Amino acid sequence: MLALKSKGTNLLKSERKTLTSFLLLYSFLSIVILLFSAFIYYNLQKDDMLQYQNNRLKEYSHELISKIKYLHNNFDKSQKYPRFIYFNSAIYDSSQNLIFSTLQEEKVKLDETIYKIKDNIHYVRLLDSYYLGAMYVVVEIVDDEEWLGFVKMKVIIYGIVLFLILLFAGYFLLSLLLNPMRESILLLDRFIKDTTHELNTPVSSILTNIEMIDSSKLDEKIAKKIKRIDIASRTISNIYNDLTYIALGNQIHSKDEMIDMKALIIERVEFFNVIAKVKKLETMLDLDEEVKLYIDKNKITRLIDNLMSNAIKYNKKESFIRIILKNGYLCVEDGGIGVKKEQIKQMFDRYSRFNESEGGFGLGLSIISQIAKEYNLKLKIESKINIGTKVIVKW
Amino acid sequence: MVRKIIIIFLFSTLFLRAQEVQDRNIYENNCLSCHQFSSLKLDKIFFSYLIKYSSELSVKAALIDFLKNPNLQTSVMSEDELRRLGLKTKTNLDDEKLKEAIDIYWELYDVSNRLW
Repeated sequence: MLALKSKGTNLLKSERKTLTSFLLLYSFLSIVILLFSAFIYYNLQKDDMLQYQNNRLKEYSHELISKIKYLHNNFDKSQKYPRFIYFNSAIYDSSQNLIFSTLQEEKVKLDETIYKIKDNIHYVRLLDSYYLGAMYVVVEIVDDEEWLGFVKMKVIIYGIVLFLILLFAGYFLLSLLLNPMRESILLLDRFIKDTTHELNTPVSSILTNIEMIDSSKLDEKIAKKIKRIDIASRTISNIYNDLTYIALGNQIHSKDEMIDMKALIIERVEFFNVIAKVKKLETMLDLDEEVKLYIDKNKITRLIDNLMSNAIKYNKKESFIRIILKNGYLCVEDGGIGVKKEQIKQMFDRYSRFNESEGGFGLGLSIISQIAKEYNLKLKIESKINIGTKVIVKW
Repeated sequence: MVRKIIIIFLFSTLFLRAQEVQDRNIYENNCLSCHQFSSLKLDKIFFSYLIKYSSELSVKAALIDFLKNPNLQTSVMSEDELRRLGLKTKTNLDDEKLKEAIDIYWELYDVSNRLW
């Protein structure tokens, strides 16, 4: 994604969301796989440890059985159950009822041979002759869990290393998957850059020449045609400026200066006046004096132009545009077609358009959003279908 | 009122005690009476059954089975003892009394109660 940005391209919000979801899911699955592997590894190590303890416990059980046998044969002399320093024990009859126990952990699994329970290891042995009625002999030792420390350390170290490898593999996989998408975006951007470069000279030439024509000396029909050319040229000029900003905006260093917002808005209103007149739109201005903003002139012009352009483009005929400039905010309101509430969030996405009948690339609000983000301006859009849209820029 | 309660208490204690003695008599009259004079002691028999049948249920079931139908296959006696003493005769106790006697026998020799 960083690579994409550095080449002057930006992914759509939805695409970024998809990528984030992919990475999250991938990481989650990687963690699940690693945890599962760790669990298997832990069980294998535990089995190894039990196998190692098995012989020792077997010897203990022999010792216990011989003592029980002696006690069985000499029960009239002594009834003291044998006790040992190294281990505890218990005996159970064939119905699995306890006969006697010195175990610390009373819960036993007589159907298993060797198992770990809490901090203890139990070894169960079946007897052929039931001395003292004992069919099962259980030997218990305390597990010092030294092996568990090693297992934990290995799981953590290998887990981190494997997770990093998986993450790297995921990033590589993602790059491979993104390549076609990246190439198409790069192609589009390259096309826009080339086109805009080629448009610059003819558009400037048309606009300069039209401005030099004195329309009062022209025939009414020709004057009308010239006016249409003027409108078309200004529209192209506006599109040209948008495309230039999108294609080169990120690479141009901002030259911030104190801008007199009222003067700039009046200048841009005059520029768009010709286009607004086609729709017979009434432009109402409520502009406070002395509202200044420290910003790059080209960027604030793009912001105002796009607000104006949208207000004209998505307006009804013979409606209005109201521009309010107060200290701290700028509001551009139209009496146009409006958009649905759920569409407002998507409006900031590049190339998103909700009215196919109108021209344009759907770049306007994306540019506004980018500029607002750069200068920490807050954007608020209020819109009602068939009533109009209000865009408020706060600073 | 207090006198009545004391009398009832005394009677019930006496009744329970009498019942206990009677129960014990079943075991003493029918088992101990012969075995205490025999070389085949009851504790030895108990441990012979225990080493072969393990649990209380199995031991009691095996004892009932043998006493009701004594035979060489189910006997826990050694060949030498069998040759010397022979098989015992069938018990004449009914099932209930036989069970009572065996319960007393188990209680007396149960190792889990005696181990410490």
